[in-house]
Amino acid sequence: EAAKYEKKVMVLDFVKPTPQGSSWGLGGTCVNVGCIPKKLMHQAALLGQALQDARKFGWQFTEEVKHNWMTMTESVQNYIGSLNWGYRVALRDNKVTYENAYGEFVGPHTIKATNKRGVEKLYTAERFLIATGERPRYLGIPGDKEYCISSDDLFSLPYCPGKTLVVGASYVALECAGFLAGLGLDVTVMVRSILLRGFDQDMANKIGEYMKEHGVNFIREFVPIKVEQLEEGTPGRLKVTAKSTKGDQIIEGEYNTVLLAIGRDPCTRKIGLDKVGVNINEKTGKIPVSDEEQTNVPYIYAIGDILQDKLELTPVAIQAGRLLVRRLYAGATTKCDYVNVPTTVFTPLEYGACGYSEETAMEKFGEENIEVYHSHFWPLEWTVPSRDNNKCYAKIICNIQDNERVIGFHVLGPNAGEVTQGFAAAIKCGMTKEQLDNTVGIHPVCAEV
Amino acid sequence: MGWEEAQVRGYDEFVRTAQSYHGRPIFALFCGDKDAEGRSWCPDCVTAEPVVRNELQNLPDESVFIYCLVGDRAYWKDPNNEFRRNLKLTGVPTLLKYGTPQKLVEEECFKAELVRMLFTED
Repeated sequence: EAAKYEKKVMVLDFVKPTPQGSSWGLGGTCVNVGCIPKKLMHQAALLGQALQDARKFGWQFTEEVKHNWMTMTESVQNYIGSLNWGYRVALRDNKVTYENAYGEFVGPHTIKATNKRGVEKLYTAERFLIATGERPRYLGIPGDKEYCISSDDLFSLPYCPGKTLVVGASYVALECAGFLAGLGLDVTVMVRSILLRGFDQDMANKIGEYMKEHGVNFIREFVPIKVEQLEEGTPGRLKVTAKSTKGDQIIEGEYNTVLLAIGRDPCTRKIGLDKVGVNINEKTGKIPVSDEEQTNVPYIYAIGDILQDKLELTPVAIQAGRLLVRRLYAGATTKCDYVNVPTTVFTPLEYGACGYSEETAMEKFGEENIEVYHSHFWPLEWTVPSRDNNKCYAKIICNIQDNERVIGFHVLGPNAGEVTQGFAAAIKCGMTKEQLDNTVGIHPVCAEV
Repeated sequence: MGWEEAQVRGYDEFVRTAQSYHGRPIFALFCGDKDAEGRSWCPDCVTAEPVVRNELQNLPDESVFIYCLVGDRAYWKDPNNEFRRNLKLTGVPTLLKYGTPQKLVEEECFKAELVRMLFTED
């Protein structure tokens, strides 16, 4: 965007390999080890389910259908490679200089870039934008870095993970557990306390229930304390020892792969921010910024997952970046709107949401001032193959004091992302319950609910 | 050792030639056939070829540059031709690094900067 305004721009992108050695190309987390491969693998799992349903719709095939991890991973990585290349072409075409080097501040307006061969170069600039993102957190227990993998490794794993233990209950943990189970693997999720912290808990529990009923094992209220290797291999065999959070009980389990998904930490500690005086939250590593994405140092800005108290979503970061550049170089005044941002969790039963969760709405407006409308529904496509008839669910939360304005939208069902996007636009326009009621539904689709 | 060029015509010859150079970096430029006077039916190919040829000096050592004529206009327009089906080509000219997702299509091939990037960077 900045190059469009005739600015001389340089991008420094560098990936420090994971403990297992994984690395990737230009594009950031979403493209390489996040949303893109995640959704593709989620789709692979959904297709597996569709194949099962197909027989009920009349398709005849006698062969047992099996899944090949390598075929899927290769196709996904190929696609990612084309995206990496596409970004290189786009940057070059727009005269943006790209350096595959690790950038860190060494003094005012000055950055040192170190490439993978260790060659250092210094650069100066009028302004800097930090968008270094986050990397998965490790447990800090014996065996974690040596034997466990994270989402950084999963999407390019050169062998099928086999029987997998997923540690964590974040959306990353549940989405990965979900598609791994959908591909036919034996999956267990170890949860320390609640599922999907920060999300509407009513919906989170429904997601957990669905996954449990569809073959994902859950071990609740335990944390791993040790990981040992029983046998090397691709995959090998690992022994995990875990302790209860509620007492002294110890359990052990054997798995081929242990996937850690317990959180992500911002990449802000080793980029020399102290040398230029940028404040960061010492505890979390996040950078506090003004509502114009400016740090406490006027010529340094930041966007994306590293920001304190802002949403960690790709489209938000992109939007924030674009608007920032337009404000700086094109005289625009629009700031990034962080309210009513829709999101979707791609667990086996997808969950789309926009606005307040039920708990947050009650806290903010008072239980007596909100009204919740909800319904279970049975997608037509699920009827013939006899899939669950009371799992899909939708609810809206309305503010009684404000014309019953819709302040929260939650839907659990197939294609939740697609469904949510339209409602997000409506919520941004201030839709009320009455307007929603007056909108005739499309039939037969899930969204008519 | 520098780089070498191979000129081929048609899908089968292309595949055979590419396989014979297995193990070396292979770059390929696909253009429409040329008539008796040496002009291609594809105007973009006419524009792109000199640009690409100018950048060949930047090819890494040991590379192979395959110059491939795909066929006449009617063959190319067929949505099921082997280049479209098997190599996933969507237009001519296409310049690509064989075996990778790295490619430049149509007007992208007119830009010396992009061609150089394709030849020289990982």
